[in-house]
Amino acid sequence: MTAPSQEHPTSDPSHAELAAAGESSALVRPIAGLGATALDFLRAGLELYSVFVRTLYYVFRGRRERGALVKQMYEIGNRSVFFVSITMGFIGMILVYQSGLQLRRVIPDFTMLGATYIELLVRDLGPSIASLILTTRVGAGIAAEIGSMVVTEQVDALRMCAADPIDFLVVPRFLAGLVMTAALIVWASTVAYFTGALTAYFAYDLSFQTFFNTSLVDTGDVVTGVTKCIVYGAAIPVVSGYCGLSTFGGSEGVGWATTRAVVNSSLAIIVLDFFISGAGFLIF
Amino acid sequence: MAAATAPARNPNPRGPSRGTGTSKLDSFAGNVGKSFLYIAATAGGMGVLLGQIIARLFPPRIDKTELWRNLYKMSVKSLPIVAVTALFTGAIMVIQAAPIVKRYGAEGLLGWGAGFGTLREIAPLLTALMISGRVGANNTAELGTMVVTEQVDALRTLAIDPISFLILPRFIGITLTLFMMTLYADILALFGAAFTGEALLTVSPQSFYNGLVGGLLGFGDVANGLCKSFVFGLVIALSSCHFGLSTTGGAPGVGRSVTATVVASAAGVFIIDYLVSFILG
Repeated sequence: MTAPSQEHPTSDPSHAELAAAGESSALVRPIAGLGATALDFLRAGLELYSVFVRTLYYVFRGRRERGALVKQMYEIGNRSVFFVSITMGFIGMILVYQSGLQLRRVIPDFTMLGATYIELLVRDLGPSIASLILTTRVGAGIAAEIGSMVVTEQVDALRMCAADPIDFLVVPRFLAGLVMTAALIVWASTVAYFTGALTAYFAYDLSFQTFFNTSLVDTGDVVTGVTKCIVYGAAIPVVSGYCGLSTFGGSEGVGWATTRAVVNSSLAIIVLDFFISGAGFLIF
Repeated sequence: MAAATAPARNPNPRGPSRGTGTSKLDSFAGNVGKSFLYIAATAGGMGVLLGQIIARLFPPRIDKTELWRNLYKMSVKSLPIVAVTALFTGAIMVIQAAPIVKRYGAEGLLGWGAGFGTLREIAPLLTALMISGRVGANNTAELGTMVVTEQVDALRTLAIDPISFLILPRFIGITLTLFMMTLYADILALFGAAFTGEALLTVSPQSFYNGLVGGLLGFGDVANGLCKSFVFGLVIALSSCHFGLSTTGGAPGVGRSVTATVVASAAGVFIIDYLVSFILG
């Protein structure tokens, strides 16, 4: 590495020093950094894709561990009900209150408030916000559990037993995530709808008969909403499982894996939301 | 194999206590009581921590290098992820408003409709979720690792106050980070919304801008969102520092604290959002 600088000695000592450092001049470094980042992204994307494909493969071909699926469904579903209900209840109240404020500035007519709210809730807000809330609990839990198994070398032990960690660790969480995310989203949206109705009643004197108006909800809204439920339910366990499996560096690494799981799955949800909503708008 | 690792990990008071010989009602009541005590202990711990932090703010005793280091690590490194989130959020807001705009032919109101939701509610909320996932959780992991490797005790032995050396810079760092990131996200989300409006609804950015500044939307709405983001920052900073400092149980304990932080920050942000919205509304 130091050879080039000896061959071409320069009068500027700082330049020589930089060249001797091997890495490069101030011009090259940011470009190299960009390239390294891009390569990292590409590598992570390929690995995530491979985890996804292998998960799908083992869903159909894998060996089942007895009771693992039920246990994961309990972990992911039942233990999240309370948390999701509370947060979505508050979200429902805020959303109706804010849209009432918004409406009051244009037309002081609240009759369509409930109809618009249920349409938005079915199409977007229910699935997206509920799964963003779910990720913080479920994604973090999955990554922490798998990550600590990685750093204590239990995953390597699984591999030594000729058992693919994806089959044993990710697949039960994937199936449980698919079922329970959809169930939780439906439940959380119901909670948000009713707290919204209560807010409209108390804040804007809107009767329940007027609020419970589903005339604007059509097939397109329902299809978009259900697609989102399924896609998010698949995305959260796969992304978090990938983050957990790629843990390195001991106990600190587990903390990092958890962080990455939450951030990456939230990001995945927002990006997927954009594409599904866009497709839904263009199709219907 | 997978089942063998999970059970011992979690002495969570809210776990199911099956097969202990008690009746169903007893165990239910016991669980409710335990979770109540857990929540009370957490809230009390955060209150005490807040008191300690405030005591060190007057007069301010902050390690300046530590503050700058934390601000760089928290803010600058979060820029890309906040940018992506904000651009997509703005786009989603427009897509959601699109059918309503088409139904009533109210193209001129698109900027106002998307801007209202974004500035007052969605941008502060989603930025807070992202920052709590990235910065809050990372902060807890760091503090928790320092606690379980007894580095915090070492600081105490050297007569260095861990609150003013470790906690205060992080607390200020997270609060400032969230505030700045929300401002940044507001701007980028509106950009994303304007471009999506042009691509999807052929509403020109000019008329989007006119709808945005056309009198229906004022500085109050921006201030409302920023005010919320400040409160969210306090909640995230407090919960991440509290759970980090109260980490027990070695390496698995760190993972547990991180999860607890993320959950508590999300719940706290949503509940506080509701209260602040009503007070400011």
